[in-house]
Amino acid sequence: MTLTIASSIDDIIAALAAGARPIAGGTDLVVGSRQGKGSLPDSLIAIDRVEALGVIDRGDAETRLGAGVTHARLMTEPTIVDHFTAIADAAALVGSPATRNVGTVGGNVMNGSPAMDTGSPLVVLGAQAELTNASGSRLVSLDELWVGPGTTSAAPDELCTALVIPNMGEGGGSAYVRLEYRRAMEIAIVGAAAAVTLDGDNVRSIRVALTAVAPTILEVTGLDDLVGKPLDDDALSAVAAAASEQASPISDLRASDRYRRHTIGVMARRAADAAARRASGEDISVPVNRALGVGATA
Amino acid sequence: MSNTSNLNAVELTVNGVPYPVAIETSRNLSGVLRDELGLTGTKEGCDDCECGACMVLLDGQPINSCSYLAVQAQGREITTVEGLAEGDDLHPLQRNILAAGGVQCGFCTPGMLMSATALLERNPDPSQDEIKIGLSGNLCRCTGYAKILDAVSNTAVELR
Amino acid sequence: MAITDLPEFVRADGPDKVTGSGRYTADMTLTGQLVAKFKYAGVPSARVTKLDVTAARAIPGVFAVLTQDDVPDVRYSYGIADRTLFVKDVVRFDGEVVAAVAAINDKIAQQALDAIVFEYDELPAVTDLEAAIADGSPLVHADLDAYEVTGDTPHYGNVGTHSSIEMGDVDAALASADHVISSRFLADASHATPIEPRSVIAQWEGERVTVWTSTQVPFDARAGVSETLEVPSNRVRIVAPHVGGGFGGKCGAHFEPHIAALAKAAKRPVKLVFSRWEEFVAPDRRRESMVIDVTTGVMNDGTIVARTGNILLDNGAYMADSSFFPQAAAMHVAGPYVIPNVKIDARLVYTNHQPSGSVRAPTAPQGCWAVESHTDEIAATIGMDALDFRRKNIVTTGSVGAVGQTYDEIGLDQCLEKAAASAGWGQELPEGEALGISVGWWPSFHAPAGAYAKMHGDGAVQIITGASECGTGSVMTLRMLAADELGIDETSIELIYQDTGAAPSGPGSSGSMTLFNHGRAVERASRQISDQLKELAATQLEANVDDIVLANGVASVAGTPSASVPIVELAGASEDGELLGSASTEALEWPEIVGSSCLGDQGFASWMAPQFSCHVARVRVDKDTGVTRVLEVHAAHDSGTIINPMAAHGQVEGGILMGIGQALTEGTQYDDSGRQRNAGLLEYKLQTIADAPKISTEFVEIYTPNAGPKGAKGLAEAPNVATCGAINNAIANAIGTRLNQLPMTAERVWNAIEGEVE
Repeated sequence: MTLTIASSIDDIIAALAAGARPIAGGTDLVVGSRQGKGSLPDSLIAIDRVEALGVIDRGDAETRLGAGVTHARLMTEPTIVDHFTAIADAAALVGSPATRNVGTVGGNVMNGSPAMDTGSPLVVLGAQAELTNASGSRLVSLDELWVGPGTTSAAPDELCTALVIPNMGEGGGSAYVRLEYRRAMEIAIVGAAAAVTLDGDNVRSIRVALTAVAPTILEVTGLDDLVGKPLDDDALSAVAAAASEQASPISDLRASDRYRRHTIGVMARRAADAAARRASGEDISVPVNRALGVGATA
Repeated sequence: MSNTSNLNAVELTVNGVPYPVAIETSRNLSGVLRDELGLTGTKEGCDDCECGACMVLLDGQPINSCSYLAVQAQGREITTVEGLAEGDDLHPLQRNILAAGGVQCGFCTPGMLMSATALLERNPDPSQDEIKIGLSGNLCRCTGYAKILDAVSNTAVELR
Repeated sequence: MAITDLPEFVRADGPDKVTGSGRYTADMTLTGQLVAKFKYAGVPSARVTKLDVTAARAIPGVFAVLTQDDVPDVRYSYGIADRTLFVKDVVRFDGEVVAAVAAINDKIAQQALDAIVFEYDELPAVTDLEAAIADGSPLVHADLDAYEVTGDTPHYGNVGTHSSIEMGDVDAALASADHVISSRFLADASHATPIEPRSVIAQWEGERVTVWTSTQVPFDARAGVSETLEVPSNRVRIVAPHVGGGFGGKCGAHFEPHIAALAKAAKRPVKLVFSRWEEFVAPDRRRESMVIDVTTGVMNDGTIVARTGNILLDNGAYMADSSFFPQAAAMHVAGPYVIPNVKIDARLVYTNHQPSGSVRAPTAPQGCWAVESHTDEIAATIGMDALDFRRKNIVTTGSVGAVGQTYDEIGLDQCLEKAAASAGWGQELPEGEALGISVGWWPSFHAPAGAYAKMHGDGAVQIITGASECGTGSVMTLRMLAADELGIDETSIELIYQDTGAAPSGPGSSGSMTLFNHGRAVERASRQISDQLKELAATQLEANVDDIVLANGVASVAGTPSASVPIVELAGASEDGELLGSASTEALEWPEIVGSSCLGDQGFASWMAPQFSCHVARVRVDKDTGVTRVLEVHAAHDSGTIINPMAAHGQVEGGILMGIGQALTEGTQYDDSGRQRNAGLLEYKLQTIADAPKISTEFVEIYTPNAGPKGAKGLAEAPNVATCGAINNAIANAIGTRLNQLPMTAERVWNAIEGEVE
């Protein structure tokens, strides 16, 4: 087994073409191998020192979020906190300070877990993954990227170099809320993200996506009826009902399918409410869970 | 671009001391610190980033060394609990955690001290909640955490 | 390292622990040491059809592979000798050790495990407590009657011990009661979960073996090695380096015999270090699951007239130290109340689960949770405030408790008032928040313990004790007792402990017994030296020995402080070159019980120096999800005299947080065949610092006669008793429904809110 420390994206692309697998913080890869879920690959390319992967670049129409940005930065970088708040909410809930220091958004996205916290925020914000190999880069929607639990449609020689996210217009806000049994070191039992833009009091657009209730992150459909009206209690109930209805949760040792189906509705309602409040200018600090005293994180 | 093969001759800088070691790529940092360098202050309690006993600082940031490949730490500054005291003078956190009664079995203590060190480095004036979040990756079964929280608060006041 | 800037009071082992210089067992390396790994059954119930280790033994780098065929054919355990070191013919739980290997490294040890041929026919697994005692249930031990049995241990079928408490006439009393309230409670199993996974190293030199091990009880570990390997105890030396927490999980002899046997066979030192998964599944110290049915008769004025109870406890596959559990559980279901008519039956039931054993106040958190939840139900039924109802019925000084023991000076009533006042009982709280109250109790235990004390010619003192320090600070407290007795500064006293080769024996760190027993021994041994110092001083100062006072490093004549001599000089003046003390604990009197009878008495009928507590929890329930957060716990404890306040507060705070975990997030889950599903720290959720509530602690210090040193009782277990009950009562007050399952997970709370109790 070998590990090569890359100093440029070209290094990484070359190594991937030769069959190596990328490792950033190693939180998924090393822990997985220690738990016997799979042995470490024969050839690893360490990508955590490539500065180009750690750039956050806010342009006029979209923001390019380097795949190597750590959760610790996602939860504190003003660009993310101010404009893509749901991502910051999610990053702030990942594991512990140590895992947030080494875990990256690219690692999260390419791991393809339906329980990843940053997944549903990226979906509601309309992010696309930038995949790069020797022949160039392409943008892929997350919907196309995630094909099943732990599986992506990326080719083995493709590196996720960035997440490209359209900038929200005026009157936009987003939030991520999750159910957790303790206040730290937790994994999403269920979680929900929402992005809302408002025209005055009325909804101009709303997207809601769900974590850990389907084989991949699930975007809630059929919310168009909410457009043009205030996001009042009835509207939030409709969001909750749609989320519960569309979820296809499993029973496992963290929760029953029935409990997940119920609580995903609660999370979706709370995420939509927080996103709308942020959209209307209310300052709700990151993460929402803690700011609003949701569940155990009060 | 540095290349490493099966038994890698690498240099790890721990507490300011450069250690030449020959290790397999798959070795985790905590194992190398403990078994190759004899720095057993770093503990192993779980194997999967769930207890924090193996916490060390990598360029000043806390990481779970049980789940970090040792070869990835080349060229970085590793700090372990053995590196906190200066000579015979305890680090204020070490002194204050003793004074507050925040040490019982002591197995979580090294990791707790490393997380607290990193926290106070980046936030010299943390609120109670910020201390709790900063130490939330370190499980302690003995103390109920109250005296550990006191120790970190007291240290922050002392260092300001 | 010579630490130069220590604060005023620090525990003696503290500098070692904060600098990383302290060695725990896993930190040690012996020259030539081999790696040990175990082959686990991986199936909860099976008959072995083939076990062949030939191929494993043949692997280069493998030095030993052992099965039950390679060790003496000894069945052992407390109460019922029902187990062997390795699987013998029948597998009874998934974490049972089939074979052990010693090899030059992890990789080859793993190859050896993989090369072991282990085949079996699966047998039906016994996993349900009520089904296990029904007619026709498969038997976990078909040969139970053939095993050696010690003590009063009634056993039959799948029942390992049956214990009962009976006093008065419950049938008549229930018939005359104004209200009869019945409740049923189900508690899941849980784990001690010390942060240090255990480690064992063994090395033979000739016919003598030294075992370094993370044990709470070195002398029990010695007895275990001696018994199972048939080695005289004087050839077995157990040394415990620093121990990274125990909570009962590291009581008993566990794997010391396996590693000693491997080291002997391999002719090399052998080291075992458990993974977290192994720490969950293999030790015979799990907190038992329980089914508790309790019925109470009460009058309209709130007087309790009768209680019946029926308790089933999950023993798992083998007896660890669990034979007393039924009686202890029965006492908790009786509770610290005045109840004239009592009939409680408790049965310890064999199943194909991991064995149960002492975890911090065994049976108490579950038993107390059940009966304190029941108590609130009773109060609600008769329309009485939960605090007032307890005021009326709890035991106080001079009362006769539910087993006919008359209590001398006790402070439960003060605990109740202090905790309630601290919490602001009765105050209006925001929506979703509520207070809940619970009282609890736990005995102190007398056990023989010895101590040596030495004052060297230079005045330096060593205390050599069989006590064990798993973190509580109780061994550290022994130094304070010796310092007080000798009139010298405690920092000049060196403790030698956790080495059976050096110290006289004792119970170690179990049963909150360290201060209570080892403390008395240390006091007495130290007194032998202080007596000698006084004699020497009397001669030098030409005074009456009775007038000599030892304090601040000086021996002086009472009333004439100018007539004095430094203690250091006296030490040097001894003709023997050093002063020696050697003592054992004096026996204490077991309290008398009158008017009750107990079947299966395992020493829990009367409680010596009983400790009392009251916890009030303030919770906030998220009613949409059932997620519950404990915001505050207000505790008041009567553990007699408090000698080391810092350690005492640490015990209460730690015990409460462990209680919160047990109340909300810590429950062992099994699949249908009896395998653990959540044997890891992500899915078995301990509380983090972010979850820790504000804890206020008050001690009701009542000098207790017939107790430990200076009137102290035990303390380490008591704080883990009442928290779960207080939290359940708080949840019930917040949501209007009472849960009957422990832990009270978010999903269970939500189910209760939805009116769907499982």
